[in-house]
Amino acid sequence: MLSIVHVSKLEKTFHVRRYHQGRWASLQNLVTRRSRLIRAVDGIDFTIEAGELVGYLGPNGAGKSTTIKMLTGLLVPSSGRLIVNGFVPWKDRRHYVARIGAVFGQRTTLWWDLPVIESFELHRHLYQIPTGRFKRNLAEFNDLLELAPFLDVPVRSLSLGQRMRADICAALLHDPELLFFDEPTIGLDVVAKERIRNFIRHINEERETTVLLTTHDIADVQRLCRRVMIIDRGKLIFDGELARLLERFGGHHRLIVDFAESYAEVAVIGAELLSYSDQRAIYRFDRRKITAPALIQAVSERYAIRDLSIEEPDIETTIRTIYEKRLL
Amino acid sequence: MRQAFDIYRRLLGVQIRSQLQYRVSFSFDLFSAILVTATEFAALALVFERFEQIGGWTLGEVAFLFGLLEISFGIMDMVFGGFDPQDFGASVRHGSFDQIMLRPAHLLTQVLGSQFALRRLGRIVFGAGVLLFAVTVTQLDWTLAKVLYLPLVVTGMVLFFGGLYIVGSTITFWTVESIEAINILTYGGSYLISYPMHIYQNWLRRIFTYLVPAIFLNYYPVLYFLDKPDPFGFPAFAPFLSPLVGVASFVAALAFWRFGVKHYQSTGS
Amino acid sequence: MLKLYFEVAKRSFQRTLTYRAAAVAGLATNIFFGLLRVAILLALYGDRQVVEGYTVAGVITYTGLSQAVIAYLSLFGWYDFMYAVHRGDVAADLLKPMNLFSFWLAQDLGRAVASLLLRGVTFMLIYEIFFDLTYPTTIWAWLALATSLLLSWLVSFAWRFLVNTAAFWSPNARGFGRFAFLSVLFFSGFLMPLAFFPAWVQKLASFTPFPYLLNTVVEIYLGIVSGPALVEALLLQAAWALGLIVLVQAVLRFGLRRLVILGG
Repeated sequence: MLSIVHVSKLEKTFHVRRYHQGRWASLQNLVTRRSRLIRAVDGIDFTIEAGELVGYLGPNGAGKSTTIKMLTGLLVPSSGRLIVNGFVPWKDRRHYVARIGAVFGQRTTLWWDLPVIESFELHRHLYQIPTGRFKRNLAEFNDLLELAPFLDVPVRSLSLGQRMRADICAALLHDPELLFFDEPTIGLDVVAKERIRNFIRHINEERETTVLLTTHDIADVQRLCRRVMIIDRGKLIFDGELARLLERFGGHHRLIVDFAESYAEVAVIGAELLSYSDQRAIYRFDRRKITAPALIQAVSERYAIRDLSIEEPDIETTIRTIYEKRLL
Repeated sequence: MRQAFDIYRRLLGVQIRSQLQYRVSFSFDLFSAILVTATEFAALALVFERFEQIGGWTLGEVAFLFGLLEISFGIMDMVFGGFDPQDFGASVRHGSFDQIMLRPAHLLTQVLGSQFALRRLGRIVFGAGVLLFAVTVTQLDWTLAKVLYLPLVVTGMVLFFGGLYIVGSTITFWTVESIEAINILTYGGSYLISYPMHIYQNWLRRIFTYLVPAIFLNYYPVLYFLDKPDPFGFPAFAPFLSPLVGVASFVAALAFWRFGVKHYQSTGS
Repeated sequence: MLKLYFEVAKRSFQRTLTYRAAAVAGLATNIFFGLLRVAILLALYGDRQVVEGYTVAGVITYTGLSQAVIAYLSLFGWYDFMYAVHRGDVAADLLKPMNLFSFWLAQDLGRAVASLLLRGVTFMLIYEIFFDLTYPTTIWAWLALATSLLLSWLVSFAWRFLVNTAAFWSPNARGFGRFAFLSVLFFSGFLMPLAFFPAWVQKLASFTPFPYLLNTVVEIYLGIVSGPALVEALLLQAAWALGLIVLVQAVLRFGLRRLVILGG
């Protein structure tokens, strides 16, 4: 397999101006300048093989969008190596961007007052797409994304879901080898989200387009990505298969017990009691430290049990815990 | 180059079609653009009944300066609308400029093609009317050289003020707080050179001769068109510097723009 | 109730004072244009010493005064209420227990007073460095000036608010606003002192509230009107302010009814 993205020791630091506070602040600000160094991306390494579909996750301000900006050539790295598709993105901007596609959920690349189809036509000229290929691609995406009903409608009158579909189509008309999706499902309803996920999977599988996806919607990740990368405070804290993420961080299972009698106190060694009321207790335990049978045995030795169940950790809670507690 | 031109033409088409979709508000804008310029000129013309001259110039002679400036600034504002510092600053903050950088076409082409304010036609047409009035009442002697030079003077001013727009926009890569400073030069500068330069205090005129060579853009060419003597004793080629000043400041502005884009790429603003 | 409006005005005053960077830039622009306007007027004067009561020092002071009150009177236009209508904020404000017009009046008073100090007084102080300005000489003249300034703000606010109510009827009211504010610049004597215009223009202006928005202030400051004429000028200013406010209230009532019926 061929690597399409090479990133090594990538760093991006910013000088952030610090302002004086207090009564003479505005005067001091005029005279002296103080700045603080922020390491938005602090030495990350990864490669992405051609045809992969990778989820890139991390809390707000972790360095996600700085990375994407460097990968798309909008930002020059402070140090490190970055080669995408054989290009150094920021160096040869025009040739590089002709071969990638980018979709930002929060804003549109289309022309606000133009019918959708005319925006596509403009893209044909901007990207110099041969007419035959343009027509073939448009027909295919039209089928998959059901664009036909609103091709003649000005972008300003589209619903968010329609606009997103049109934007995705526009980003793909020139057959990019690599696609960046930034929050492609943000603000959409369940049906629209599903349609977009299916389409992303389709182009990844059928056209073998490499996809890098950033999202806050864990369902996107679960439905689409085998591999995820998590960035936090500028460092890559996880890079691997989604399944392994659970093993590594999602150690906490939950045991829910309904007791036959009322006990004043139901603590057991090896598990954390999360709540206890109406004869029901919820424990949290780490399977690497205590197995489920051992815990159940420990509980049942001391108390009379009417019913019990075990909950697997889910990815959403796992990732939320990573974000909230910043485990590493 | 040919591709850049083709893209520019298509982007312009988009702008024009978009604006014509809103017919009512477009006509209102066009009308009020005429009115703004007309009001300013009317205020001057009406007090001329009483004063009869300004710094020794007649209304027709001042109208020549005024009309030429209005035509040029109107064309500039229409063509370089994408570089209006206020709007460009907003497009950088809202990420629209990033979208432009993600497209495989020249940045300049795309920014120029991102805005084409047709309503400025109002200002251009009114300016042309004032110029026509000036030509009629001053009864100037047309020579072939003057006819050929007139469009070059307009070009010079379009490039000069277009360059100022670009510089102002480039500054927004660093800060949006200082746009007003460049506005003094664009709006203040254009107001300044629509009156005869000899009415200003010496220090002010010197700034706009040596530091910002705006005196050569409009005043000196009009001295030549009206066959008026040069009160400051510059060499005889002074009236013909206008296109040169325009081109030179435009080239400098482009260099600054490129520097600004590089800075933007390394800081993300 | 009055306390509420006082608080609103205070907040708005403080908020305006925080825009210091903008104020500095605005001052620089105002001064630059002031210099140009002085040069133009002096070039028009030529050898004349007095024109229609305006001495050379007087006409220089006129440029300073008219540049100084641009922010105070929002001479270049004001669209805040229009935006509030279009955004739907006004519909929400109706639920609050207060008078909408008084609320906006209080808010603008805070903004205006802050602008007068930050942009107006500062401007005159700097302008004094460049030129020899004239000042009112008696305490009565200063009192008359203060009254006139206050009334001019009332006329200005009522007119601006009236123009903004067009938003109830049209989503494109901004174009209309631009036209309305342009009339202010011309007929208030901002572009040129009204007295310099031909008689028919002055006559035309006298049918509008605009001279009472700026020209009256200037003529009172420079002592061009005095004695009974001064009292008459102030009374006319007050009458226009009152008339416009009554008119605005009526139009506002219609507009709000329309807003409620159409559901914003």
